[in-house]
Amino acid sequence: MTEKKISVYRFMSAGCNGCDVQILECLVPRYKLGELGVEVVFTPEEANVLAVTGGINVKGKEELKKAYEKLKPPKLVVAIGNCAITKEIFDKGYPMVGPPDQIVPVNFYVPGCPPRPQAIVSAIAKALGVTLEEKEDYWGTPEGFRGKHEFDSEKCIGCGACAQVCSSDAIEILENGEKRIIKVDYGHCSFCGFCQDECPTQAIKLTREYHLLTDNRKITHVTNEVEMFKCNVCGTYYAPSRQIDWAVERITEKVSIYREYSVNLKKAMEICPNCRREIDNIRKAKKLLAQLSSKAQTRYN
Amino acid sequence: MPEIVQIGPYRPQLVEPERFELLVENGKIIDVNIELGYVHRGIEKLFTTKTYMQNLALAERICGICSGVHTLCYAQTAESVMNVNVPERAKYLRCIYMELERLHSHYLWFGVLAHSLHEHDVFLRIMGEREQVQDLLEYLTGNRMNYLINTIGGVRRDITPQKAEKIRKVLKNMNELSNYLLSLLGENGTFTKKTRGVGILPKEKALNLGAVGPTLRGSGIKSDVRKDDPYAAYGELDFEIVTEKDGDAWAKSLVRARETLESIKIIEQALDNLPDGEIAVKPGEPLEKEEVGRAEAPRGELVYYIRSNGTNIPERVKVRTPSFMNDFTLIEMLRGDTLQNARTIIESIDPCFACTDRVTVVDAKTGKKRRVELK
Ligand code: SF4
Ligand code: SF4
Repeated sequence: MTEKKISVYRFMSAGCNGCDVQILECLVPRYKLGELGVEVVFTPEEANVLAVTGGINVKGKEELKKAYEKLKPPKLVVAIGNCAITKEIFDKGYPMVGPPDQIVPVNFYVPGCPPRPQAIVSAIAKALGVTLEEKEDYWGTPEGFRGKHEFDSEKCIGCGACAQVCSSDAIEILENGEKRIIKVDYGHCSFCGFCQDECPTQAIKLTREYHLLTDNRKITHVTNEVEMFKCNVCGTYYAPSRQIDWAVERITEKVSIYREYSVNLKKAMEICPNCRREIDNIRKAKKLLAQLSSKAQTRYN
Repeated sequence: MPEIVQIGPYRPQLVEPERFELLVENGKIIDVNIELGYVHRGIEKLFTTKTYMQNLALAERICGICSGVHTLCYAQTAESVMNVNVPERAKYLRCIYMELERLHSHYLWFGVLAHSLHEHDVFLRIMGEREQVQDLLEYLTGNRMNYLINTIGGVRRDITPQKAEKIRKVLKNMNELSNYLLSLLGENGTFTKKTRGVGILPKEKALNLGAVGPTLRGSGIKSDVRKDDPYAAYGELDFEIVTEKDGDAWAKSLVRARETLESIKIIEQALDNLPDGEIAVKPGEPLEKEEVGRAEAPRGELVYYIRSNGTNIPERVKVRTPSFMNDFTLIEMLRGDTLQNARTIIESIDPCFACTDRVTVVDAKTGKKRRVELK
């Protein structure tokens, strides 16, 4: 199929071995690695491609450098699995000095935890500039497969529950005044699915997409933006508008007697926690709510 | 004149790539030094920075190959900390998932054994057939490895009748694969020739060194956490602890091959007797206490210890993995054997992978290095 011979040397330090097993599994005829002219070799001297897995710890660092030096040209380095991209769940572990691209130049990244053998094979194919035949039974994932995330921006209320439960610190909440951005780094994710389980509005889903090869690890993310709401009293942005609506709905749903007061309830929710804390008795609260209603200030103006 | 032979560190291995320094004289190994740490990730420290739930994903990543049993053992220990009673159905489901894991882990090991004995066709056949188990696990749990199927309070995905059918189908094929493995270990079998009498671990030594799992059972000791201290639904299922008395690499292999048949038996029974009901309950608050839990991983007894201070983040989590115990039996097995056999012996305890073929011989007197190939 191709004249370029690819000899892969596997290198692992500070990973779980999962990715390494996937590379070994690629050797099975089903994955057609052989057809691409790829072989797995046992010494870095024989190899021209280095497949690195794991986040690299203090002890592995020098060994990685040595292996890289011994590599034959074109000296391609492929970082396989999220540990090798961002150190993933081991990010804050004290002996970790990776990810590998902090130590040797990395050409390609294959996100996943672990990536499917198909993803690894197609990554190698892409590196070779070869296109592989698309066969459903070969490439397809079963229903319920946990792959790259997808946001339903209609549903997301921006509450940040996903970031709270995330097992790998893969979800960041960024705020710039009027916007809150939920940023999921699928190159840092363990694909545990906790975000999907805990999302109160089922807005975040793990899709069946797993072909995530990239040459730039800075772009391995999915984001969603929600609008922030300004406090009716002091004017600072303090919560996503949708989250306020959602909370009012849930409260009136759960405690039916509050239904009559839903307008006032909403008015109260439209005051930021700081201002709310300054109200020291019911009488003052009532007065404030009346004032706000008379001003007829809504967030839609 | 004795020579120092280095194996590794780069032979990807279960717990870590490690370096073996063998002191060799006239082809015989006189002493062994093991150096660990290439995969150290500071996991026990990380455990104390995450919540009980988040730690499930961390526990699983201690080892990708036996990832399921790590979450199970961790979840069971956490369940004791939280006083949770797991529903009956979940207990059976746990047995099914964990035995599927044992199957893929044992098959992988045979694949690797074949690989290191340079039996390429055997390797391809085992690994090729094994894919069915991987596909099945992906279909049932959503990932080929690190499936995160166990949770504190039960399991995360149910097995529908349709899924059960699929499992049974795969088991039928796996039965064939297991019998094929047994034939490789029979008289004149491919594996038999190369593993008989290699790396003998006598019974008393196995006990004294604290060997666990197939490494221990291959030396004739009947010990298995699933029977000795039944967890999940193992107490209600009928299966045997497999032992072999010879203690060599062959006996350990035979134990694993026969165990795969027991695993198939366990899964079938669990499917037949799967109770109705919930698959998980919501765990309560952690109590202020300490707990120890254990489970039988494919490589032997796995132990978790959790100390809780009542908050949702554990104060201390300690893990003792089976390979840690078995690694040290290697010293015993390697001593007195030949350099030729070193690789088979190291593999016999199932450190997951073939070592890289690279071996460096250091002349103990001159300090000069030369490379030799391990066959
Ligand atoms: S990316 Fe996931 S599967 Fe790969 S080594 Fe890391 S934890 Fe294991
Ligand atoms: S699946 Fe969601 S919760 Fe889990 S690690 Fe990835 S982003 Fe975090």
